[in-house]
Amino acid sequence: MFLSLSLFLASLWCKSILAGIMPLDDGTVSLTPSGLLPDERENDPNIAFQSTVGAHIIRPEASPALGIANHLGNRIFESRHVRIWYFSLPGEDSSWLYLDKSSGQINCRWTDVQRMPDGTSTRKTVQLYIGPEGVSEIPDRKLGRFTSIIEDMSETHLLYDRDLRRFFRLDLRKRTITKGPQLLKDDLHKPADIGILAKNRTILDLYWQPPAMKKSQDDEGRVSYPPPPLIREGYSTYQPDRYVLVLDESGRIDLLDTETLEFAGTAGYLPAPQTLFHSKERVTPDDLLAYRVIPVALKEDHKYRGMIAAAVSREGTALTLAVFDEKGVLINSRQTMGKSSGDYRDVPSSSTFFFGAPWAPVMTIGKFALENLHPPILSLASYFTASTFEAGSGHRALFLLPNSFIGMNGRDARQSFLEKLLSAFLLMGPSIILALWLNWRVGKDAALVGLSRKARRWWMLGTIAFGLAAYITYRLSRPKVTLVTCANCGHPRRPDMDKCHRCASQWHVPDLTPPPWRVLDSAREN
Amino acid sequence: MLALIKREIQDHLVYFIAALASSAALIALLSTAAFHFERPGGDLFIGLTIPLIVILVIVFSAMGVTQMYLDRNRRISAFLSTLPVTRSRILTAKIITGVLAILIVLLPVTIAAVALRHLLLPSIPVFANLITGFVTTTFLMLFACYCLGLLTGWTASKITPTFGALGLNLILFSLIIVKGFGPEIRLLLVLVIAACLIRTWHKFTSTSL
Amino acid sequence: MNENVIQVENLVKYYDGRCVLDGIDFAVPRGCIYGLLGRNGAGKTTIIRILLGLEPATRGRTLLLETDSASLPAKTRGRIGCVAEGHNLIQNYKVGRLIKLCKDLSLQWNDESFNHLIQTFRLPTDRRVRDLSMGMRAQLNLSLAMAIDPELLILDDPTLGLDTVARRQFLELAIEIIQKQGRTILFCSHILSDVERIADRIGILAAGKLVVDCPLEQLKERVKKLRVIFPEAAPANLYLTEIVNRQVQGREMVITVANWNKQKQTILDTFKPSSCTEVPMSLEDIFIECTRPSAEPGQVA
Repeated sequence: MFLSLSLFLASLWCKSILAGIMPLDDGTVSLTPSGLLPDERENDPNIAFQSTVGAHIIRPEASPALGIANHLGNRIFESRHVRIWYFSLPGEDSSWLYLDKSSGQINCRWTDVQRMPDGTSTRKTVQLYIGPEGVSEIPDRKLGRFTSIIEDMSETHLLYDRDLRRFFRLDLRKRTITKGPQLLKDDLHKPADIGILAKNRTILDLYWQPPAMKKSQDDEGRVSYPPPPLIREGYSTYQPDRYVLVLDESGRIDLLDTETLEFAGTAGYLPAPQTLFHSKERVTPDDLLAYRVIPVALKEDHKYRGMIAAAVSREGTALTLAVFDEKGVLINSRQTMGKSSGDYRDVPSSSTFFFGAPWAPVMTIGKFALENLHPPILSLASYFTASTFEAGSGHRALFLLPNSFIGMNGRDARQSFLEKLLSAFLLMGPSIILALWLNWRVGKDAALVGLSRKARRWWMLGTIAFGLAAYITYRLSRPKVTLVTCANCGHPRRPDMDKCHRCASQWHVPDLTPPPWRVLDSAREN
Repeated sequence: MLALIKREIQDHLVYFIAALASSAALIALLSTAAFHFERPGGDLFIGLTIPLIVILVIVFSAMGVTQMYLDRNRRISAFLSTLPVTRSRILTAKIITGVLAILIVLLPVTIAAVALRHLLLPSIPVFANLITGFVTTTFLMLFACYCLGLLTGWTASKITPTFGALGLNLILFSLIIVKGFGPEIRLLLVLVIAACLIRTWHKFTSTSL
Repeated sequence: MNENVIQVENLVKYYDGRCVLDGIDFAVPRGCIYGLLGRNGAGKTTIIRILLGLEPATRGRTLLLETDSASLPAKTRGRIGCVAEGHNLIQNYKVGRLIKLCKDLSLQWNDESFNHLIQTFRLPTDRRVRDLSMGMRAQLNLSLAMAIDPELLILDDPTLGLDTVARRQFLELAIEIIQKQGRTILFCSHILSDVERIADRIGILAAGKLVVDCPLEQLKERVKKLRVIFPEAAPANLYLTEIVNRQVQGREMVITVANWNKQKQTILDTFKPSSCTEVPMSLEDIFIECTRPSAEPGQVA
């Protein structure tokens, strides 16, 4: 474990340096025009710059995915994992909205402040309990239980319960809960997130810039700017007419009708970043280290116009930006690119991250070498299990390494299984050579020290499987005996064994010369 | 056994005093942070608990090292072994003493945290889980560092227990940054503790005194 | 109940590749006082440390009160009193604190006997152990060992550092213990006159082997030193086995023989010596003869 931890920290240091020397441009991508505005808006002669959508990797080393940041981040208020969607503690006016797992009901409290005509104000604390069957001011089993819910606790207050396979819409003011139709058991829709679709927001920045208007100057020299087109970008101020985005476990993004609580078509999908080893065409939320999706509507009609989505690859080295129209058709997409060091061609950023910047190849080799000090069996297991890990957890993995070169190779969608396996063994080459050499050393030492054949075999097998870790364990736990030269065969032998483990001879201690006579008890002599 | 534990406590009283002082300091920091959290600089008090915990890690590791180092070099166990006491009991008494010292730090802090939670926060389940998780992980971390101290302390050299233990403890402490405070780190720490204690027990019971 | 309180079987001990004990076998029966003798570095302390479980044996087995030494339970340890070489006590403790610790850990404690000893030896309880003289430390160690009324007492050079009076007091204490039924003592000492006074059985270590292991009286009977004068030059070969030592000077030969018997006497008589007188030997003399390096150059014809 100490070895794994030390290798992890060293590898993290290499990766941090790689992230630090990565050119900023390699982690940035933009599309101009965005393609979401009508042509007449985009091509308005008063426009100086067209609309732009852009995305930027803030932290390629993915420090928010590290254990402590991830642990604390999942437990702050308004975090999905902690099921507290709102929390405020200003003394008497405390308010909250959270799911109580023990009762399976949502617990809600706020303080209503009403201003009276005479200038005074009255305060009334409202406490509500919400279940699938209704809302009440007192806890009531008849309200039912939510079991496994995902939620969008923005203004719309939408929920989806995986076990009940229904959507719910909660109206706190009216104290009502509306049930949607139940999805069939074999329904293709498997909602994973509703409303604000984002993961690891601190790693990825996504923005939408409206068109910039030209300035004009009157005869007196006063500068003025014509009013911008009435465009409201999405996200925190998004007020949809009636649709909200739902992210599916497959990576597809659907539209949900907030009135009927039924699906109303496809909005798009999470774009797949291009990694060092070719990845799948379609990615799921678990395959991505970070993603953000912003739906866009115009202020004048709040009509849904489409969405922009950005996704960061598992390793944090590549970013893809995509724009979808209102029908879910891809309008445009772009990958982060960098310049190759030799001929300055455009190559994917996942490649320039490791080889582009000065000193990057050195750090990459360092990272590769450190990964090869890892136990070979765990490296091989990383190869086979690389796709099963959720992307963020790979950044805090100690034993299985889904973000290692071998792990990346395991996810390569281009090659056949045999080709992948062969290239994995090539990548593990130094590790295998090291394991074989250490295995030879362990075998030799175990024979010298007189371990039994069975024990020697197990240690050698263990060293092949676990490499340096097994060798260190062997050195720390091997019997610490000073060997003595056997008078018969001349090889070192263990003094705590009755016979020489090489020639099976009994003991003879030539350095001691006791006298030939003995004066022993007559009983002993007999 | 009580006599052995009493002997250990008396011999290492300074660590118990340090534990009490740390406990008091932590409670003071937590209380100040809780009552001043919304004021500017209020979260500084929370930040100050981190170096204090690092110091505690070093202190408990040093306690483990000191227990074993002094025992070996003053031949205390050699003397005790001539009395009706087994080596396992001697080691168990040391470990119980270490656990007591850690509990002296953590128990009052836990009680204070729970009390502050009841006073200042509504009874939302996540707060209880947060405190339990943090306290359990901290206990296991401190105990693991203490066990590392026990393992590295049985030597005549001064360098190995000083720098070896310090290095290993810092690596172990970084596990919190890598894994957080969740069940994974607890499992890993339990494994580290088990490995250290088994190795220490084997070393202590088979070595010549 | 086994008659042997201490049993050592084929004990071998190596220190860093150097053999110290090479197959030691002996047993100490109940109620016996066994004196284990040997020169410096012979392995006496090693045997005692292995018996007490302070040192692991390289090979072989040792049993103490019918229990393997390597895994002596606390109850068995409570029946053994021990005075180790160098008087290993906790140096930085005060005497009073050390006494309290031993009292708390002991299974039985004879307050009366202990207080009597403390008063006899006039040991200060408020001084640290490291501030006591060597002799006082020995007295304290002895008192602590005696206070538990041990069934077995193991003493490794217990009178080291004691003055003559204190040594005599200790011997009297040891005799007092002997008189208690069923008590056994194993002790090592370089003061052989003390050993001769109280020991029943003697064991002598030499070159990693136990060359002598028999009752004291038997030892004196079986190891004989003879001054033999021959009519002419002493013969080069007497055809005697088990010669411990031999010194020749002209016609005179002083020979020490182990396991002297009539047969050996007959063999000697065939050489028709002019005279053959026995040189009386004390235990010390026997010990010196047995542990002297054999075949000293220039002294054998």
